[in-house]
Amino acid sequence: MQQELRLQVPRVACTAFVMLLLWTGSVRAQSSAPGPDLTSAGRDVVDEAGRTVRIRQPVQRIVSLAPSLTETIYALGLQDRLVGDTDYCDYPDDAQKKTKVGGAINPNLEQIAALRPDLVLVTKSLNRYDTVRALDSLGIPAFATDPHTVDEIVSSTERLAEILGAPESGKALALDLEHHLSDLKQRLAASPPRRVLFVVWAEPLISIGKDTFIADALRRAGAISIVDSAQGWPQVNLEEVVKLQPEYLVFATGHGETGARDIDIFPSLPGWRLLDAVRNRRFAVISDAVNRPAPRIVSAIEDLARQLHPEAFIEVQEKEKTEKEIPPKSALLSTNLAPRATEREIPSDEASPCAH
Amino acid sequence: MRPLTLQRLLLRCAALAAVLFVVVVIALKLGAVPVSLYGLGRDLIRVMLGQSSGLSTDYGMIVIDIRLPRILLGIVVGASLSVAGTSFQALLRNPLADPYVLGVSSGAALGAILAIIAEPHLAISPEFAALFTPLGAFLGAAATIAAVYFLGRREGQIDSSTLLLAGIISASFLSAIILFLMTTQIGRDMHGIAFWIMGDLSTPLQQKLRWVLGVGFVAAAGAIYTTASDLNLLLAGEKEAMHLGVDVPRVHLVVYIAASVLTGLAVSVSGAIGYVGLLVPHVMRFIFGSDHRMLLPAAAFGGAIAVVIADTLARTVVAPAELPVGVMTAMAGAPLFIYLLRRRFA
Repeated sequence: MQQELRLQVPRVACTAFVMLLLWTGSVRAQSSAPGPDLTSAGRDVVDEAGRTVRIRQPVQRIVSLAPSLTETIYALGLQDRLVGDTDYCDYPDDAQKKTKVGGAINPNLEQIAALRPDLVLVTKSLNRYDTVRALDSLGIPAFATDPHTVDEIVSSTERLAEILGAPESGKALALDLEHHLSDLKQRLAASPPRRVLFVVWAEPLISIGKDTFIADALRRAGAISIVDSAQGWPQVNLEEVVKLQPEYLVFATGHGETGARDIDIFPSLPGWRLLDAVRNRRFAVISDAVNRPAPRIVSAIEDLARQLHPEAFIEVQEKEKTEKEIPPKSALLSTNLAPRATEREIPSDEASPCAH
Repeated sequence: MRPLTLQRLLLRCAALAAVLFVVVVIALKLGAVPVSLYGLGRDLIRVMLGQSSGLSTDYGMIVIDIRLPRILLGIVVGASLSVAGTSFQALLRNPLADPYVLGVSSGAALGAILAIIAEPHLAISPEFAALFTPLGAFLGAAATIAAVYFLGRREGQIDSSTLLLAGIISASFLSAIILFLMTTQIGRDMHGIAFWIMGDLSTPLQQKLRWVLGVGFVAAAGAIYTTASDLNLLLAGEKEAMHLGVDVPRVHLVVYIAASVLTGLAVSVSGAIGYVGLLVPHVMRFIFGSDHRMLLPAAAFGGAIAVVIADTLARTVVAPAELPVGVMTAMAGAPLFIYLLRRRFA
């Protein structure tokens, strides 16, 4: 038996050795076949995660690994250069027709490599660092964005446009967004911020932390989250919410998703029915664009501002109307009365213009 | 039963190697990007001849740079987990023993998570940063092994049921800490952790790590194999083995440490892939009997085959997205385990 054994130990060692050889063979193959990027002209940039990325110029083939980045590319009018995006890239509709490379967290490296991208776009809050490392090892440059505020979304968009070789459209888009935001700021200057609960998920109750771009978007819309947490997506105790009594509940919903249906259920749910906002049906439903750090977030902010502060907008609508039809005197009256009337109770169908 | 001769052993290993080869070829062909068998053969021969420059550009890169390293990683991870499982089962004379039950995987997962959380706070060079998480996982595994080993001793002796219970309790305690960290930490990459807990082979390894893993596997598996005959005798009972001249404490120590190193290495590069360490040894024992001189190499091949198949399914079933490979092994493994269990007692 002992003799047999001694003869067999080398057998295992041999098998293992062959496997090791195979493996190192592939290592050699990898190290001796660097991507073509090193030879062609490239430009070194530092991305928002602090990594130095060499980007070959011009950037003709882009793969986006986040819905927000896909939206940004479309907003910049660069969609013809987008050769691949994720399963979750659903806006605009045309983005669904692009070649899919899997999810944002679990993209398929083979599919990405097969698209021969000049640049892969990732965002730090969604994608995995492992994915970026894997792309690095394949010689595929990956540029990471990491906006934490609405301002940073705008500046990040502008920078991205510049890196992708379309600085003019980036500047134009940034100017337009800044214009909308400053206009909104002026309108809301006189309105005190509403205390709101942003409901990401109702059961269990998940809201947003104070350092997220969504919290910043709420501030821009004249709202302040009652949840004061440093976590990104804190699970919130309903008791705490009842104690703090938010003025409004804010929901973000995609096309045809729940949201609106949930609203009808809340008054019958224990705990939730103790909220004044639920009893008075003070719900604001906005587009899920607020969940994505992309240019479209500005329109979601405007939408939310309209629902939370109708008084700031009615004025202008009335003015436009009155300039044509009604004498100015009654217009003045209506602007004074309108806020109080709408503030008290908002019919649910009016409060959810985005639900359908 | 006929005695195990070297010839029979080699023949069976060759048969298993042939199966593994076929599985690897199929795994190389399948994937999000279609590849022809002809082109595949041509490219593989070129790589073996060292002429990688002649590869058809992007297609060669996909097969050689992405698919092949991933399959080879699957082979080593599967073989490691399976050999470790076989060893633990023999050592503890308990069919339920495997790296998971002993808490090693949870320890590795916790170590990795602590490393991921700590990384941004430490000034680490980017080169080392990629090695930091696997290192954390390995240290976590090592710490858990040591803790379970000491918890599992009674009156200076290893007691197999105490050790198993200590492992189970440690595993659930560590899992609770992992969930606590995942819900409270503001750190980045938390969804990455979720993927990691379920096992994932999609991240290519650094070259240095490949060497560490390869050499570590050969050394640890070799060390276990030198005790194969002793493990056979241990099956009869510790006292009996001692009377037959087996240095039981030494075998315990060697096998326990080597099997733990195998598990630590595997988990540190792939996350926690379940059922391979538990199930493959049982299947192989079912086919080849419980002589460890045959069982250990068979388990190595079997584990490699199982993980390569599972990973191929994981990356093709929902292509172009990917499933964690642990989902595939658990979905296939649990029913199979119950089948074996019923059949054995029927």
